[in-house]
Amino acid sequence: MGRYLAFRLAWLVPVLFGVALITFVLMHTVPGGPWDRDKQLAPQVVQNLNRRYGLDRPLYAQFGRYLWGLVRGDLGPTYTYQDRDVMVVIASGLPVTATLGGLAFLLALAVGFTLGFAAAVAQNSWVDYVSVLFATLFASIPAFVLGILLVIVFSVTLHWLPTSGWGTPAKLVMPVVALAALPAAYIARVVRASVLEVLRQDYVRTARAKGLTEQAIYGRHVLKNALIPILSILGPELAFLITGSFIIEQLFSIPGVGRLFVQGVFQRDYGLIMGSVLFYTLVIALLNLLVDMLYAVVDPRVRYA
Amino acid sequence: MSTGQGAAAQGRPVAVPRVRAPRSFWQQSTRRLLKNRLAMVGLAVVLLYLIIAIVAPLVSPYDPAKQNYDAILLGPTGGHPLGTDGLGRDSLSRLVFGARTSLAVGLFTQLIVLTVGIPVGLVAAFSGRRSDNLLMRFVDIVFAFPDLLLIILLRAIFGGSIFMVFLAIGLVNWVIMARMVRGQALSLKEQEFVLAAKAIGVPWHSTLIRHVLPNALGPVVVLVAFGVPRAIFAEAALSYIGIGVTPPTPSWGTMVQDGYSVIFATPYPVLFPAVAIAVVMLAFTFLGDGLRDALDPRHAGLGKMR
Amino acid sequence: MRKNLYLLAALLALVMVAGLACAKPAAAPGGGTVAKEQVFRANLAGEPAQLDPNRASWAGEITVVRQVFDGLFDFNQDLTLKPMVAREIPTEANGGISKDGLTYTFKLRNDVTWSDGKKVVAKDFEYSLKRMLDPTIAADYASFYYDIAGGEEFNSSKETDSAKLKALRDAVGVQAVDESTLKVTLKRPRSTFPQVMALWPAYPIRQDMVEQKGETWTEPATYIGNGPFKMSEWVHQDHITLVANDKYWGTKPKLQKIEIKMITDANQELAGYKNNEMELSRVPVGSEGTVMEDAALSKEIVRGPQLVTFGFQFNVKQAPFDNVKLRQAIATALDRESFINKVRKGVGKPATSWLPPGMPGYDANLGKEYTFNQAKAKQLLTDAGYPDGRGLPEMRFQYSDTASNKVIAEWLQAQMKDNLGISVKLEPMESKAFTQLVNQEKHTWGWFGWGADYPDPDNWLPELFGTGGSQNHTLYSSKEFDDLAKQAMAEPDAAKRLGLWEKAHAVVVRDAPAAFMFYREAFWLKKPRLQDLITTGMDGQIIGDFFYPKSFLVE
Repeated sequence: MGRYLAFRLAWLVPVLFGVALITFVLMHTVPGGPWDRDKQLAPQVVQNLNRRYGLDRPLYAQFGRYLWGLVRGDLGPTYTYQDRDVMVVIASGLPVTATLGGLAFLLALAVGFTLGFAAAVAQNSWVDYVSVLFATLFASIPAFVLGILLVIVFSVTLHWLPTSGWGTPAKLVMPVVALAALPAAYIARVVRASVLEVLRQDYVRTARAKGLTEQAIYGRHVLKNALIPILSILGPELAFLITGSFIIEQLFSIPGVGRLFVQGVFQRDYGLIMGSVLFYTLVIALLNLLVDMLYAVVDPRVRYA
Repeated sequence: MSTGQGAAAQGRPVAVPRVRAPRSFWQQSTRRLLKNRLAMVGLAVVLLYLIIAIVAPLVSPYDPAKQNYDAILLGPTGGHPLGTDGLGRDSLSRLVFGARTSLAVGLFTQLIVLTVGIPVGLVAAFSGRRSDNLLMRFVDIVFAFPDLLLIILLRAIFGGSIFMVFLAIGLVNWVIMARMVRGQALSLKEQEFVLAAKAIGVPWHSTLIRHVLPNALGPVVVLVAFGVPRAIFAEAALSYIGIGVTPPTPSWGTMVQDGYSVIFATPYPVLFPAVAIAVVMLAFTFLGDGLRDALDPRHAGLGKMR
Repeated sequence: MRKNLYLLAALLALVMVAGLACAKPAAAPGGGTVAKEQVFRANLAGEPAQLDPNRASWAGEITVVRQVFDGLFDFNQDLTLKPMVAREIPTEANGGISKDGLTYTFKLRNDVTWSDGKKVVAKDFEYSLKRMLDPTIAADYASFYYDIAGGEEFNSSKETDSAKLKALRDAVGVQAVDESTLKVTLKRPRSTFPQVMALWPAYPIRQDMVEQKGETWTEPATYIGNGPFKMSEWVHQDHITLVANDKYWGTKPKLQKIEIKMITDANQELAGYKNNEMELSRVPVGSEGTVMEDAALSKEIVRGPQLVTFGFQFNVKQAPFDNVKLRQAIATALDRESFINKVRKGVGKPATSWLPPGMPGYDANLGKEYTFNQAKAKQLLTDAGYPDGRGLPEMRFQYSDTASNKVIAEWLQAQMKDNLGISVKLEPMESKAFTQLVNQEKHTWGWFGWGADYPDPDNWLPELFGTGGSQNHTLYSSKEFDDLAKQAMAEPDAAKRLGLWEKAHAVVVRDAPAAFMFYREAFWLKKPRLQDLITTGMDGQIIGDFFYPKSFLVE
């Protein structure tokens, strides 16, 4: 296991490099640059800006300089946040996003597991139907619509919660719920499907035939085996939630990192684009690694030598 | 460690004693599917939607692009059963025509997800550690891929087109499928029935299709059912950077987005397309669950036919 | 299945009905006594990228900068100049402007202090102007100050040697003669120079603060200004708090505190307003009608014309838009009245000319020939050589894709089809890609707008419609216009200048390098407890931002 872990961690380097290269090439190839403004800037001003941010150098030199900075933990400046370091911008938004995403993840997990498991155990009962309706409802209403509906009900009509912002527990409620709704529905459906899958397996039937109690069957066989597909989707879901949702952060004006990539792209803020993509790569790769390790824990038949 | 490829090399398909004749396998599955009432309802809804999409000009009461400035943002009325939008266009007609774009987007992107995601996942699980690692690191890269940049670039090079939408959405969404199928397959490939099939020389592709895939199908169906609305909304998001359908062609996703901007004026522009999307997702859920049940040979014995 | 569907529909309906029920907000009491807590809350619609006056360029940035700094001059409500730190508006008569129009002498007040008590001196202005022109600072608006002798040379220098850069800086024609005298030398006369000096890039800044903190001097501890408010808090991406500057040299503001939120979503801004979290809010485009029909909200509407014009600009070098008759046909085929009155519920004003109401040179009767007239438009189309649109190549229309631009584009498409029988292909684009396309003049026909930097036609005509003008993306080129503009730019007499600009404006309108669409109107909601909000046509991101020191809250 230890060797496998080291092997996988070493593979982070080429993955990060690959993403960095792809992103760098793409962002310099797309039409429109950071200084294309509605009120066109004077050519002298554009020249000054390019020089200020080192964009007057050849691309390979810029990329080399970026990689060298990356090795030393320097992600360069943003253009949109008054030259603050990308590292500082990400670091200051990360606790916010991680709190929001972490809570949403826990909520989604609790609701999803409960609903999914109940639906599988009581297949084709009203519990099952409620769960499928719940899932369909929250998958068919995009998060921004759900979010504004919550706001209309709980802020504008009932005046219970503040509409947006960050810093108090009351401000967390609606964004967490809006963010958790779709993953909860998704987890519920996957849990239901995986549990049903396992219930059909020979060994469950054997266990039943042997006269094991239902509790023992679920505890010993079903839950453990049903976890594999659930784990597969939880990794990416968690990565998505803790790196932030653009839509929810934008809607609720949350100072997190989820907005950085999209803002970076639309502003052509090269430092912000590179920094946020690499940050996301790191999170997703580590979480996929964690999931792979957990496969082996949950199901000892899955082995990594 | 042995792999599925090893099994393929061992025995020639013709020489292998079949566990069950393939024709009867498919025939039985079809029969089971046809008997499943909910699945049939799902299928009927999908077919109905498709027919509506195809004959849209015949069933829509108005030209979906015709603007009437004296009928802006109306609620449901006699003349406009689903109301009108901010330019006075009939919402029902736009919903009917929007089915064309949104169903195409929902279906084709899921087709890409299935045809890329499942094979990649299975191959990764069955083809040995080296290629598994390479494939999964590639998946890591695709996960983090700055798709927004690529989409803007595609738009610049190829212009706005619906095929770009399929490509753009499909391109990044197969990875979750691939990782999930791989996870399932990693666990399944060491189970008794798969090992047994290998031992008696069943070719690996046959094992995959008959044993591994049906057992992994439940979660796959869920992913597809969720993928449909996700793709429909992704198209709407893309259309806002100029790569979705070109206005005034409607799509359900863009109708929801346009509706959002006037939600303080009227809720209907969001409500109706959302219901349309919910219904199609529900239909896919039922149909998918039915398909899953039908493809599982053990199913009949459980007596859970709906 | 059917049962499930009904249940689903019922669930959805429940959520929506809950939403509908929202329409009535809690009524806020109007009138009353001056409130003890003078805390005014507003929304900026996003984190400012820059609060460095020299570098700022976005309306949201300027709204904040304006509260913290006072320049030499500022604008009155009617957009005429008023002296601030300068004692008077320089004229030839009072000796502020030399006979050749090349030397400006600004006499400063002696009682102006920074928020830390230090005196504001001419050196602070000299430092600021020279820093703003420094190429390494790369200020967006530096090109506005190229009329200053040596300014363009300094700003466009590629020099890296610090001694040589210093020499260029020293050669810039800005000099603090003594504590209260600032002398600026121009390389060509510019009658609007005092207006340009009233803009934020020319606000004084503190050299010691900039040198102490470098680029991060705009954080509260070192963000020392000389304006009515000072910054007490900047929580990035969340909010900015301004408090009254107790050392303010002028009339002290009545407001004790301004809390500026950063809500980007238009619906959320309105929701926050309805939930009493803010005293001011924009109304999302498309919801104006609902607001006007609402018993409570309709009493809280604040409207006012803005110096902003929108239109459809042609690339006149590209067929078929090189045909003036075709451009005129299109301009005549737009039923602007119906758009403004029905789609926009009367918000905005139909435009048939370029200079907006409130701008010197605006003429309500100019361009009346473009008032919607289908028969005339069709005749013009025939005159253009395309009877009933026959023979027209595919017409493509580009725009930066936003919800409101999409409505405009779809409306344009329908107008062309219904009124001229011609089909238009819409090409929505991502914002920066569109901007680059236009800046490189590769567009064919696009949606565009212009807002005033300062209220004078020389900010509106030569750059946009003069041959080779930096913002001229129609590629329109007319010797007649260029000659008039050149005369106007050099004319020292204000009345004569205006006459020349009016003529030049008429030439542009006649040749229709763009089909003008509407003048923007601000449409906001204001809680009755906020009193004496004074709006102008040049307000920044938040309405009334020129005059917050006069506003106050009642209980």
